[in-house]
Amino acid sequence: MRGRMNAGLLVGGVLVGMVVLAALVSFFWTPHDPTLVDAAGKLREPGDGYLLGADKFGRDTFSQLMVGARTTLYVGIVAVGIAAVVGTPLGMAAGMTPRGWLSELIMRVNDLVFAFPALLLAVMLGAVYGAGTLTAMIAIGVATVPAFARVARAATLQVMVTDYVLAARAAGRRRPAIAFRHVLPNIGSVLIVQASVSFAIAILAEAALSFLGFGTRPPTPSWGRMLQESQELLFSTPRLALWPGLAIALAVLGFNLLGDGLRDFLDPKLRRIRAEG
Amino acid sequence: MPSHAGTPLIEARGLTRVYHRPRSSLTKPGAAVEALREVSLTVGRGERYGIVGESGSGKSTLLRLLCGLDRPTSGSIRFDGREITGLPERRLRFLRENLQIVFQDPMSSLDPRMRVRDLVAEPLVALGLPVGGRVAELLEAVGLPAEAAERYPHQFSGGQRQRIAIARALAPRPKVLVADEPVSALDVSVRGQILNLLADLVDELGLTLVFVSHDLSVVRHVCETVAVMSAGEIVETGPVDDVWAAPAHPYTRALLAAVPTLEGLL
Amino acid sequence: MLKVDGLTVRAGSVELVHDVSFAIGPGERVGLIGESGSGKSLTALSLMGLLPEGVAASGTARLGDRDLVGVPESRIKELRGREMSMVFQEPMTALNPLMRVGAQVAEVMTLHGRARREARARAVELLERVRLSEPAQIARAYPHQLSGGQRQRVMLAIALANEPGLLICDEPTTALDVTVQKQMLELIAEVAPALLFITHDLAVVASVCERVLVMYGGRVVESGPIREVFARPRHRYTEGLLAASKLTPRGTRLPTISGSVPPAGRFPDGCVFRNRCPHATPACETAPELTGDGHAFACWHPAD
Repeated sequence: MRGRMNAGLLVGGVLVGMVVLAALVSFFWTPHDPTLVDAAGKLREPGDGYLLGADKFGRDTFSQLMVGARTTLYVGIVAVGIAAVVGTPLGMAAGMTPRGWLSELIMRVNDLVFAFPALLLAVMLGAVYGAGTLTAMIAIGVATVPAFARVARAATLQVMVTDYVLAARAAGRRRPAIAFRHVLPNIGSVLIVQASVSFAIAILAEAALSFLGFGTRPPTPSWGRMLQESQELLFSTPRLALWPGLAIALAVLGFNLLGDGLRDFLDPKLRRIRAEG
Repeated sequence: MPSHAGTPLIEARGLTRVYHRPRSSLTKPGAAVEALREVSLTVGRGERYGIVGESGSGKSTLLRLLCGLDRPTSGSIRFDGREITGLPERRLRFLRENLQIVFQDPMSSLDPRMRVRDLVAEPLVALGLPVGGRVAELLEAVGLPAEAAERYPHQFSGGQRQRIAIARALAPRPKVLVADEPVSALDVSVRGQILNLLADLVDELGLTLVFVSHDLSVVRHVCETVAVMSAGEIVETGPVDDVWAAPAHPYTRALLAAVPTLEGLL
Repeated sequence: MLKVDGLTVRAGSVELVHDVSFAIGPGERVGLIGESGSGKSLTALSLMGLLPEGVAASGTARLGDRDLVGVPESRIKELRGREMSMVFQEPMTALNPLMRVGAQVAEVMTLHGRARREARARAVELLERVRLSEPAQIARAYPHQLSGGQRQRVMLAIALANEPGLLICDEPTTALDVTVQKQMLELIAEVAPALLFITHDLAVVASVCERVLVMYGGRVVESGPIREVFARPRHRYTEGLLAASKLTPRGTRLPTISGSVPPAGRFPDGCVFRNRCPHATPACETAPELTGDGHAFACWHPAD
């Protein structure tokens, strides 16, 4: 038995689906080589096989967007993955021992990392290990850990005071089993929402880093770098900024909507709306 | 059923539990609240023991202590002759195998994301006991169809959910069943079904029953012995019919007078 | 005072309340009994214009000469809290945790056009009227500083603030301890102008009301003077419910109603109780009318 599809889930799913599709197809086919510099086709207008035109180096915008989707997803998955894998257990551990020293330690270190701007961290890592997609992803991931840990802790605290956790303890369950069988499934929907929101933030962060020159290196296409390169032509050829900007906005919107929609969809209590009499 | 047969199964002596409120000032520690003060009780083998009290009486705290879910500030609890206070969870296995609980609200005491099969089997899995065909057997014993095993708690009515909770509690073949207000969240028309079922199971399986309720008339139907609690203490205890007929403590009298009845009207 | 005629409440295609009719005279105290899913709370909420999203009422309900059903929200808003008011089950969630209770009592009066200072003074009077000791001190307290019983008294003070003609109480004492419940019930019976009292507890309704409506599956299955209905129930559901409410001596079996209340929309056609009724026959596949003067019931095979 599954819940009704809601509008947010549908729109979010379609937007995210488009990004994923573009990224997957780009492995096999793009209209043109997105990295091919073509002096003759410089600032080519849309049409004639170039759906969205070409940039100042003559590279096809549409092809760049497709491959850029790949970068975007790659960054999002790795960054959110790091944050979820590190942050969730930390948050759960803190939530399951609310009065212990462990909880204090985790949450204070968390505050410390949280207080440190993600972009600054990325710039520092970039300066030390060299700027690139990987350093950007790690920096964004590390900076997102506290968000996950906090959400996981808050949700765990709520689950730990429920009767079913008490019932599980009375049944003889130990802490690890309670963590995996009761806490994790019940905070899952909250984590999924957090993941999609973090995914959206990671996309923005990668775009910002690439825009600043600390993210994806040329010639790998990235939406953020496309924006940066279009900067000087913003008034003469606005379409060069419009398309990557639109792609970023829609992808971020898509992930946010998907997260909200999934939360409602996955909640068994909301699945069946019972009329109370 | 003879009461007080043989040695006591549960023996609590001088139980006190002090909680500390979270501190609200940097210099002073949080205020201490005595939830339970010097409480002693004895539950015999096969006895049906009722604990009556209102919110804040300490009955929930007492229950948690008896079930080894919390530790007393002072005092001791012996279960079947063995001390349980202060034992770490890994050494409470004998208690978990022999004492199981049915909670008040079956909606919140059953994990909404687990299937009934896994819920009922949970005590067995947790204690490393064989599951085998036990789930089907238990569901039948509480009057639920075998197909119920594949479904989730929210697909059942309140009364059916409480049956699931009872099946789960009986899974490891405990000696003692602790029921914490098991019918107060249920509709009147199903309350009788659950109380009858509990009585049948206690009879058939020769269980000792600890039954907690705010309602003395329900306890009178179910139990032989009652302890009345108020403000963290047991104020009166004895055979339930005696307490009902001639309450000695002023609080018990007030409690009895306050219960609305149909009899007076008709 | 209040006259309800053919009230029906639907959520999409599911009928949750079917053709409910009753009247409450000035000063009269009427109980509405039902288990979960009976439609009793929806009946009350539709009178208050507080039905949840996606749930709609039809039929007529008039308070004095004002229509309550099928009129715009803004019209009911004027009546709410002035001509009629409601006390809910959970007093903690119904009060604003960040506002002193005296101000909350005063607010309902200023909303309906009373001067601020006058409202403040009257708030303290009202708190005294619901028998809160040291009302001036209580007025300055925040909800979390009060006990459950005190909070429910504050809710009652808010409900009474504008001297409404009708008070609706939805399980007002279910969350309270029995000793507190008793005082609260006595208070409600004393101060209510005209009362619609909703509960699942037969003994509670017996101690407050004069007349009773028994609801099951969204229908009124029996109604009448409470002594008559409880002493001589005619509908088989009422009969079963009364039997199930009495606790027999230890060692005996409690009388029960078989099965459980179906979820909304899954009640049988015809008589809604027939799938649980020991006396059901094929005749019950046709819905029985609620018939009888004074003591009415909707059953083909009534108890004697």
